[in-house]
Amino acid sequence: MKKVILIFCVLSLLIFIRPVLGLGTNSNTSNNTLNNTTITALQVDDAPQQESVFNAAFDGIKKFYGYTGFANVTSGNLIMILIGIIFIYLGIKFDYEPLLLIPIGTGVILGNIPFVAGNQTGIYEAGSVLNYLYFGVVKGIYPPLIFLGIGAMTDFSSLIANPKLMLLGAAAQIGVFATFMGALYLGFNLPEAGAIGIIGGADGPTAIFLSSKLANGVNILADGTTVKNLIGPIAIAAYSYMALVPVIQPPLMRLLISKEDRKIKMKPPRAVTQKEKMIFPVVALLLTLFISPSALPLLGMLFFGNLLKESGRTERLADTARTKLIDIVTILLGVTVGASTQADIFITKDSLLIFGLGAISFVIATCGGLLFAKFMNRFLKGDNKINPLIGAAGVSAVPDSARVVHHEGLKSDPSNYLLMHAMAPNVSGVIGSAIAAGIILSFLG
Amino acid sequence: MKYLLINTDIISEGYVILITGLLIVFSALVTLALFFKYGLPVMLYVYKVITKRKDKKISEIKRTADKDFTGEIAAAIGTTVHLYLSDQHDHESAILTIKQVKKSYSPWSSKIYGVQNRL
Repeated sequence: MKKVILIFCVLSLLIFIRPVLGLGTNSNTSNNTLNNTTITALQVDDAPQQESVFNAAFDGIKKFYGYTGFANVTSGNLIMILIGIIFIYLGIKFDYEPLLLIPIGTGVILGNIPFVAGNQTGIYEAGSVLNYLYFGVVKGIYPPLIFLGIGAMTDFSSLIANPKLMLLGAAAQIGVFATFMGALYLGFNLPEAGAIGIIGGADGPTAIFLSSKLANGVNILADGTTVKNLIGPIAIAAYSYMALVPVIQPPLMRLLISKEDRKIKMKPPRAVTQKEKMIFPVVALLLTLFISPSALPLLGMLFFGNLLKESGRTERLADTARTKLIDIVTILLGVTVGASTQADIFITKDSLLIFGLGAISFVIATCGGLLFAKFMNRFLKGDNKINPLIGAAGVSAVPDSARVVHHEGLKSDPSNYLLMHAMAPNVSGVIGSAIAAGIILSFLG
Repeated sequence: MKYLLINTDIISEGYVILITGLLIVFSALVTLALFFKYGLPVMLYVYKVITKRKDKKISEIKRTADKDFTGEIAAAIGTTVHLYLSDQHDHESAILTIKQVKKSYSPWSSKIYGVQNRL
């Protein structure tokens, strides 16, 4: 220990003694030449050599200060750093999707540390480390990998047991298309509006995938203008509203569903055989992709992951996909999406509009699911009736919205367990929003 | 489609996408639902016929064997296992060990170097 300290002392002494010996003093003269000369001229009699050394040191410090965050900070940076801290706080204190909010919050802070442009520091500067990691977002590489993990985690058995609940997942996609129209009316062009609309799908990876294809700041429209880069705002909006599902959905449920309806008990789903579970990913893959081939990266990976899980022979692969792989990708995705909110690019009127539209799209999607569930109940008899609350789980946000439905059901009737039933529209919502993304992509991509 | 995009105004194009998009999403999920409602039992039946070479009705293939194994039982078992696993941590051996740490000799508060003492 003593030796280490000794070596450190000697090294630091060597470094500090360098300017005193007159080495390396030629790095000044750029900014403060005038200042230098006047000062040195004044004190030229005393000790010119020593004074110039101190001036040089002072200049060095000044120059260094020019590179620090304190000199380059803008109010936008400070606001975004505050938002990042709020994200981290929300994640830790209230447990709102901490696996997402903490990486994103940290990313927001990372992306908004003020720096001098041109040193390959920022996420938007070609060649910087963050830029390389961000590549996976811009090219839509991370979302399919996340879907692979989700597929390896998800149990589709409740959906196989009760296939009619798939319609609820489709109904909630009204939010996607309604927001799309809203964005068009607010003056966004078609591809941008398509990317904004997918926030209503309540699915972070899908939103990132679609915005990286449509609103990436690279594509050129028919009239010669370039689309805006909206990946950051869209991803942040999608993830933050997903985290806010427990806040957004319950009031809508209480507003739209009567007390009696909330108490409806559904009969337990039948047990599903392993054979059915194995057939599901293969058949669903074929059917959905033949209908919407553009959703191939997302749905292909989702059902591939599920096949790994259900085949019973590839437990190792499934285990990696649902634990390590998805964790790695979540870390990279969270941090880079967070860092993409660099204040000078993120704080615009468009971002505010996107946040507004995102909130509306969540509300519309939830209402769509709830009302469609009520509508379905008109045709169902006896114990086949469904509890309309599970319609709200049709927005994806797996598994948070299913959990919210479960809690809401318990509040009306403490013996009514809706979680299993709510998982069916929940996972079909994932499939539905991926299909919707595919459709929008095939129309506008 | 590109032709449409250029020549019609954005809003009406938006409505086209709105309607077709919703229709396609619904049709895709309806197809899936229909398949798993009606197509799958037939497939399983055919599979049974091919492998067992026995003439069985579709209704017989339905899980008669595990009828009483409902989701609720699965949930109960799951909860029990979860509670058991999370409980385990509470039963610890309760044996404390005190580790002796040897320090090298230091004379900083040694009595023999006091003012009173003469060496």
